[in-house]
Amino acid sequence: MNAIGLFGAFATLFAAGYGLLVLLIHRSARLSLAEQIAFSWLFGTGAVSLLLWAFGFFADGLLLQGLVSFVCISLGMVGWNLKKPSQTRSKARWFEVVLTPVIAIEIAIVFYLSFVHTLGWDGLLNWEIKARYAFANGGVLPAAYFSDTGRAFSHPEYPLAIPFTELWLYLWLGEPNQFCAKTIFPAFYVAGTFLVAAFTARLSRRTWLGLLMAALLFFVPQITVEVGCASAGYADFPLSVFYLAAAGCLFCASERGNDVFFRLYAACLALLPWVKRDGLILWIVAAACGVFVILWRRKSPLSLVAFLPGIVIICAWRLYLNAMHALQAVDFLPFNLETFRTHVDRATPLLSALLAEFCNLPTWSLFWFIVAVAFLYALPRMRDPGVVALLLALIAPIVLYLSLYLFSSWPNYLDHVGLSISRLLMQVTPVGFLLIALAISRRPERRPQRVQMPNRATCAIARSERTAVVELA
Amino acid sequence: MVSIPKIYSGVTEYRLRPGGALHTTDSYLKFATGREGVSKNLISMFDSMPMSKPIVIFIRRGDAFSSGLGMTTAYLASPHAVRLCEIDGTHPDNELYRINPDKVAAVVLCRLNRPSWLPAGKVFGPGLEIVSIGEKG
Repeated sequence: MNAIGLFGAFATLFAAGYGLLVLLIHRSARLSLAEQIAFSWLFGTGAVSLLLWAFGFFADGLLLQGLVSFVCISLGMVGWNLKKPSQTRSKARWFEVVLTPVIAIEIAIVFYLSFVHTLGWDGLLNWEIKARYAFANGGVLPAAYFSDTGRAFSHPEYPLAIPFTELWLYLWLGEPNQFCAKTIFPAFYVAGTFLVAAFTARLSRRTWLGLLMAALLFFVPQITVEVGCASAGYADFPLSVFYLAAAGCLFCASERGNDVFFRLYAACLALLPWVKRDGLILWIVAAACGVFVILWRRKSPLSLVAFLPGIVIICAWRLYLNAMHALQAVDFLPFNLETFRTHVDRATPLLSALLAEFCNLPTWSLFWFIVAVAFLYALPRMRDPGVVALLLALIAPIVLYLSLYLFSSWPNYLDHVGLSISRLLMQVTPVGFLLIALAISRRPERRPQRVQMPNRATCAIARSERTAVVELA
Repeated sequence: MVSIPKIYSGVTEYRLRPGGALHTTDSYLKFATGREGVSKNLISMFDSMPMSKPIVIFIRRGDAFSSGLGMTTAYLASPHAVRLCEIDGTHPDNELYRINPDKVAAVVLCRLNRPSWLPAGKVFGPGLEIVSIGEKG
């Protein structure tokens, strides 16, 4: 029974996401199967959680589930009718043939890990709790929950993308189920792996490099086995996948005339603040990168409309919390110049803590060392707006996150840092992989016959390339 | 290569077990109380209490286990309103004196000692005791 329920929930999530994806690309681009799966999952979770929240204002119970299912199926049917034929594939190289099963095994291990471990502390008490309470109340979070001081520890002010995706599973299962709720997290890992492979292949023109980067993602312990890892039920890894999608699409959109990826960027951007409160910072950074690309490429001023959906989501959620008299988190002091002035002496210890975290091999392996080298390699390519945007997308969130600790209200702010910095850094880790790929692919392709525009990396080129994992065929 | 030993130990540390609807809370509570399947018992117990009255949960300041137990209990006590009271030491006598028994459904003690004047409650292992104040009519 659980299997049927899960199938229904996942099928409707993918249908909604696929429909939205096809509407966004609107017959003007071909995406690989892996990209379609990854974007369908991201848009599906975003759309279903938003729909559950929006329809929850006037419906609950079976009516709510029915309405959202109807929209999902309708979107799926629209997507199916508008879909384009698959890309043609050429023969894979031996290296790609080897890497594809490696990635498949890694994905299987992440699924296995998510089932042998319980939900992490925040996974249960910050995220799943909302799904459970909403399910018990007909699919709508009880108004009393937001002002319940006894449950303030569960951060009622956190946004609902993750808990309402879990709620969607519960509605299909007919019961809240902590074990089944975990299935969504390896799905985010799959989406992240596919996007790393696909974006790397696009920006480097090398399929094998995409597969290699996707395979290496698994070897960052923070993503695989550390506290707050991809399978722990925390929102940090899903947020990192949404951020990767936004940054990767923006890189592709930095080419002239690539409006399809700009629309995909806008959609991923809008969902960032809906996944986690920290997503607001990522939204600000990604939006700033978007403005930079718009100005550099002299895109139409209408491109600024891309920021509207995110602004609507941010404002709507803020208004909702105010209307519910939601309790506010007490982790930070007021953000003002006075607090900054009195706490600026924390800057040096914070930088030391950050450096210590970068050098923490058990948590990060060699990842940040390689990123540092990749950063140096990327510097000579700063005339490419896509590269600038990618560098900003990696560095600016780290700087902003570190600055936030200046305002920490914890008695020992370094405890605050120690408890959360690895998870915050994980949010930009997949983007770091894109930077590494960019550095590796710095030299021009040796076989120009496979490349349509040999002078620069281009997302258009990869349209004709095969992506073995990515095609999954 | 650097991360392989860590990932290997992470993957092989635990074995796959059948998962239930309360898989995570059962694991947490087993760790804290040593007993299996406590979540369901807690939910049944809270369901038998009047919904209009809150549950008061006492936890010990500076004791992460007590605090974790308290929050897990608060999670399971829904739809009851809960009040988390953090106290110094292991004897919540003073705080309990201040409680009006007519306005509370139950008192939960997380790794704290029950005063002798308070009626015995249901004990779930060494760290968790729930004293029901008024049963549902």
